[in-house]
Amino acid sequence: MSLVTSLIMRQMRVPIIILIMGYAISILGMVIAPGFDDQGNPWHMSFFDAFYFVSYTATTIGFGEIPYTFSNAQRTWALITIYLTVVAWFYSLGKIVSLVQDPLFREALKESQFKQQLERIPGTFILICGFGETGHALANALTEQNIHTVVIDENKNIIQTLPLENFSLVIPGYLGDARDPEKLIRAGLQDNKCAAVIAVTASDETNLKIAVTSKLLHPDICVVCRSELAEFEDNMFSFGTEFVVNPFETFANIFAMAMHSPALHLLYDWLTGVPNADLTNPIYVKEGHWIICGFGRFGSDLYKQLLKSDVQVTIIDPSIEKRDAFLNRPENKGNDFIIGTGFDAHTLTVAGASEAVGLVSGTDNDSNNLSIIMTARELNPDLFIVARHNKKSNEKLFAATNANLIMQPSEIIARKIRTLLVSPLMIAFLNKARNQDPSWANITISRIMGALGESLPSIWTLHVNQEEARALCQVLHLGRVIRVGNLLQDPRQKENQIAAVPLMLKRNQKLLLMPTNDIAIKSGDQILFCGTPSALRSMQWSQNDLHSLNYIMTYEDTPDSFVWRKIHQFLKRNERRHRPRQKRHLMK
Amino acid sequence: MNREKVVFSFFMILALTLNFGFYAGEVDNPNHHNVYELFAVIIVNLIATVLKFGDRSQMGAMLLATSLVALVQLFSASIVWAYVVNIQGNPMTPDTMSTIISLSGGAMIANFISVILLIIETSMMRH
Repeated sequence: MSLVTSLIMRQMRVPIIILIMGYAISILGMVIAPGFDDQGNPWHMSFFDAFYFVSYTATTIGFGEIPYTFSNAQRTWALITIYLTVVAWFYSLGKIVSLVQDPLFREALKESQFKQQLERIPGTFILICGFGETGHALANALTEQNIHTVVIDENKNIIQTLPLENFSLVIPGYLGDARDPEKLIRAGLQDNKCAAVIAVTASDETNLKIAVTSKLLHPDICVVCRSELAEFEDNMFSFGTEFVVNPFETFANIFAMAMHSPALHLLYDWLTGVPNADLTNPIYVKEGHWIICGFGRFGSDLYKQLLKSDVQVTIIDPSIEKRDAFLNRPENKGNDFIIGTGFDAHTLTVAGASEAVGLVSGTDNDSNNLSIIMTARELNPDLFIVARHNKKSNEKLFAATNANLIMQPSEIIARKIRTLLVSPLMIAFLNKARNQDPSWANITISRIMGALGESLPSIWTLHVNQEEARALCQVLHLGRVIRVGNLLQDPRQKENQIAAVPLMLKRNQKLLLMPTNDIAIKSGDQILFCGTPSALRSMQWSQNDLHSLNYIMTYEDTPDSFVWRKIHQFLKRNERRHRPRQKRHLMK
Repeated sequence: MNREKVVFSFFMILALTLNFGFYAGEVDNPNHHNVYELFAVIIVNLIATVLKFGDRSQMGAMLLATSLVALVQLFSASIVWAYVVNIQGNPMTPDTMSTIISLSGGAMIANFISVILLIIETSMMRH
């Protein structure tokens, strides 16, 4: 029996006993009370008659005096019956109604509903702690990829509106403070199906606590944390948190990528973006004089990247301490630090906005950032503008400014975590791609564009193992050779190519970028592909369906059922007797 | 002392004694079996059953089961009585009486088992 039902049953004991007692006393009294039948003979109600009378009286239906007109003694008892049973009913009903409205009971009910939802999830799920902008973006992206998620948040409104939102999978929401280990366990932390915990609450401290709790209570789980401060980051790594994502650092790296190789940045943008969105255009970051408004976490991270590429930088920030600290460092020689806010034309002119090539508006206040962008654009319309976008509600405003690069923390974190969880090979691919020369990225981009056309690709990893590529493994086991190029053939019309590009092959910890079509596949390989969703479906046919794979590899259509297989073998044996050489040649 | 257990024991044992009182006598002699006693057994048994609602222990669940069995038997007995006497309108015959009594005999065994379980539970308690 579940906790909720036993709770109800326990609470209902008293009302039900009162009802039973009320009925028992009334029935007994009606049986004992003397009456007369239609001929005037002394008569007593039977228990059957009495039960009938009390039942319709207690429920206020009132059929009248049945079967014979009552004597005064019976009427007296009927009066008592009415007050006794009707009051007993009111009391019991009131009790039951108040029980249903009891907050404790409702909580228990919600918890059991949540438990049921958890049980109904097939396969593994990912626990998202904190359902702010980042959590929302993540849940959206993960459910799109058919990955189940569970949300824990302490905001009642968020949990209540969760079922109303249009996610492609049901997301069970648990109301509770994620800092409380007990709540995390109830939300499914120790569930065998829980594959990963993502801590993306607004506070670094909370994220740290979640990471510690998860690592202690479910050690082999993958933990991903959002962190904005370096000291928390080190702490999180110290006990084995798999990934710590810092939005500022991540963005600074992306910015550096865009600066050094626009093609690589474009590749990154395509491969980590939301599938099916339109292809974006490359961004060309100019080298020259840069102005950074706001020297906080964002500004200083970008400054470090700009420093590497040897450009001249002017910083605008209202803090005098920051200026002193800045000017004391020897590596900052040659760069200016102006005290000011940046949203007045005067400061910007002093900083040299009219000759500068780029401007970073990186304060933690969206109105200030917007104002800086507007003023700067007026002074110099050709400025390359990097905007820091703090609140999601201002999205339209930032889009209207036409800033060249917009940094939105929640979007950046969601993108990074999604890549980490959905296609871990992608991170390795991008790291390896960074070390290639710039022309490599250009070639790759034109290849992807040639194969896919206009929209952003889906990313998937083919694991050559029994579970995910049954047919492939069977055929490999027989000693046949399958090449990467075979997988790119359309299983419906093998002369056609499907719209997919192999990005990387992983074999025994060795990574091979852009594997060519003639590479033979081995069992245990992992191959990272990008392509259209329909290409993914086609490939799933050839990796799991023996017929499709056979069709790609040979021209034969082999029968499936036992009898047909025997007939086929017989026919083939006859055929082989006539021309054995040619057949074998075809098989390869 | 656990008051809940005492109250339950009271109703359980009362159900058994009343049941025995109704059952005792010649099987087919309507004069030996009082209808008020049957009524009392049913009411007391009902209360004993309700008192075990929501008990999550194994013993509680067993006691709920046995008293539900007793209730089913007693309800059958009273339905037989009501059917023959009130619906068909026949006077009570030895045939009908023996059916009612054998049904209530089954209920008595169920109540007896309940009491034995109760004794086991009590003797297992440390204090």
